[in-house]
Amino acid sequence: MGITIACFGLSYLTALGLELARQARPVRSLRIASLVFGMAGLFAQTIFLIYHQPNPAIAFGSLVLLAWVLAVFYLYGAVHYRTQAWGLFVLPVVVLLVGLSFVFQGDSEVMGDWFSANHFWGSVHGMLLLAAAVGITVGFLASVMYLVQARRLRMKRSPLGGLRLLSLERLEAMNRRAINLAFPMLTVGLLLGFMRLPAVGDANAGWTAAKVLGTLGLWVVALVLLYLRYGAHVPPRRLAILTFAAFALMLVTLVAAHPFATVEGTR
Amino acid sequence: MNLVAVGISFRSASVDLRERIAFTEPKRDQASGDLASRYGCEAAVLSTCNRVELYLARPEGEALPDANLLAEFLGEYHSIAPSDIRPHLIEKRDAEGVRHLFRVAASLDSLIVGEGQIAGQVKTTFEAARAVGSSGPFLNALYQHAQKTAKRVRTDTGISKGHVSVSSVAVDYVRQVFDHFGEKTILVIGAGKMGRLTLKHLQELKPKKILVTNRSPEKALAVAAECGGSAVSWESLDDALIQADIVLSTTGATEQVVSEKRYSSIRSKRHGRTAVILDIAVPRDFDPAIHDGETTFVFNIDDLKGIREQTLARRRTHIERAESIVEDECKRFLDEWGRRKNGQLIARLTQEFEAKRREVIEPLLGRLNGKLTEKERQEIEGAFRLYQNKLLHGPITALGEATRDGNGPALLEAVRRLFRLE
Repeated sequence: MGITIACFGLSYLTALGLELARQARPVRSLRIASLVFGMAGLFAQTIFLIYHQPNPAIAFGSLVLLAWVLAVFYLYGAVHYRTQAWGLFVLPVVVLLVGLSFVFQGDSEVMGDWFSANHFWGSVHGMLLLAAAVGITVGFLASVMYLVQARRLRMKRSPLGGLRLLSLERLEAMNRRAINLAFPMLTVGLLLGFMRLPAVGDANAGWTAAKVLGTLGLWVVALVLLYLRYGAHVPPRRLAILTFAAFALMLVTLVAAHPFATVEGTR
Repeated sequence: MNLVAVGISFRSASVDLRERIAFTEPKRDQASGDLASRYGCEAAVLSTCNRVELYLARPEGEALPDANLLAEFLGEYHSIAPSDIRPHLIEKRDAEGVRHLFRVAASLDSLIVGEGQIAGQVKTTFEAARAVGSSGPFLNALYQHAQKTAKRVRTDTGISKGHVSVSSVAVDYVRQVFDHFGEKTILVIGAGKMGRLTLKHLQELKPKKILVTNRSPEKALAVAAECGGSAVSWESLDDALIQADIVLSTTGATEQVVSEKRYSSIRSKRHGRTAVILDIAVPRDFDPAIHDGETTFVFNIDDLKGIREQTLARRRTHIERAESIVEDECKRFLDEWGRRKNGQLIARLTQEFEAKRREVIEPLLGRLNGKLTEKERQEIEGAFRLYQNKLLHGPITALGEATRDGNGPALLEAVRRLFRLE
């Protein structure tokens, strides 16, 4: 199989370059070219995922799967919000995740074992945490766009100048829904993980694993975000800044070694 | 082509003169008809608040009235001394006239570059001229091309992008903050004229509720009745501000109505909900310090005008491209019209050459009958045809060039006489 991470990584990078060029010269051909490269990248990545079936319990797998979901998100937004600078915000994150997955590519574990009937709850745990990661990433992207839009409104700039973005209300709703959906998935995923921890060879080591602590930290941050929004009515701008912290913590957690993967990988 | 465009605009005349010289629709149609019958030409009258222009066209070689004569016409129509009008008249002829109409239709000659109304006004003018029978083949073709040019300028450049009226800019800003208006409350404070216009735009967003308050309860009731809202007492202003998502303030108060201190207690009761305050009153009703760019966005008249200026500045960056489109379309129109007009003469010239060629070649082929193969016969015929085409190429090209340069009539006459095409 000739498709490598570089194939779709470079496709996304080219799409991003074209998006940047479109900001300087908003012509239809650049938009179409950007979409074509985005689609080509997604197609190549889909083939890659089908062929390699990376394990979401390890850094490489979770990053490459998350990047794939976000690439779908990019294409949806690019088609749906054609006049907005959607790609300019989503594509850098896709490229970052693909780049990180390239760095962590060394691990060669496959997903077969992970998804076997024996590990059904393990796979549910993994899928829930991956879905929560998608939610936090979407929340982060909405936050970045929110802050850019809020800054423009604060500075009272013309709606024609600079990047074209969705309204503050829409971006705030996107952030809110993403975190609201991520939190229960994170909670259930985390609980399932805790229930499985005793099955790990050295249970004590499992509890103190960076991934477990990071996920726990992420859950706390998500909880704080929900409290600040619904309990303390903190303005959306400050919540957007806190979502940045959640995203950073999520990235650290994703690249940390997974106690299950280590054990299951050796089976 | 024989065209003259004579008129005044905001560039050459004061608003006072423009008002006096403006035509109502019935008067405009009557004037188009009068011009056509008086001077035996095609005629159309464009009358807007910023310009009054007369477009007259006639077949080539026949003189058209000049600005002096048309000043008399306008003076007679509006009972003004022609000498008061003449110094303000601008006269454009032939290709210049074509370019002028294209620039007008494309909104390049407008007070606010890129405004969309003028294309519709040009359309109405020429459709009215057609309806009264004062326009003919030339003005009809000219108008069609002007519409095409305006559309191309609009779609190929960003010259008409963005809003420039204060009320539209205000609504644009609201749209950047909010998305769903079905659950929003609008509070109108005061009853200024500009406020009513902005309210009209805001009403189009279909808000859930409109509250109106005024120091005078009668005025509040009147505005509320007008916009389908509810009047609230002036004393309940703070409660209304707590409820409202969008505030439109347009009082005639000489002092600030809501200070930062007063609003901070309102803000604390809003539970972090976002508010947009459009303060279009002069002097301002809201303390600018209320704008925190976080949950409260205050846009006053200066901010709105600043955005309008930014939009206009952006539009101006598209003028160069728009001018080149106008130039391109102007050349295309002149070429097309030239081809159409020269077509008849060229057809006659070609027929003449065709006849002469036959006169020469047919006796020759008759003499050589039986001595030539079919292929040789075809080659001789082909050579004569090629020679004919080469001879015709020069005059036909020169006619096209002369039409473009405005020397068409003289050369047409010369060709007629040289080749005896009378």
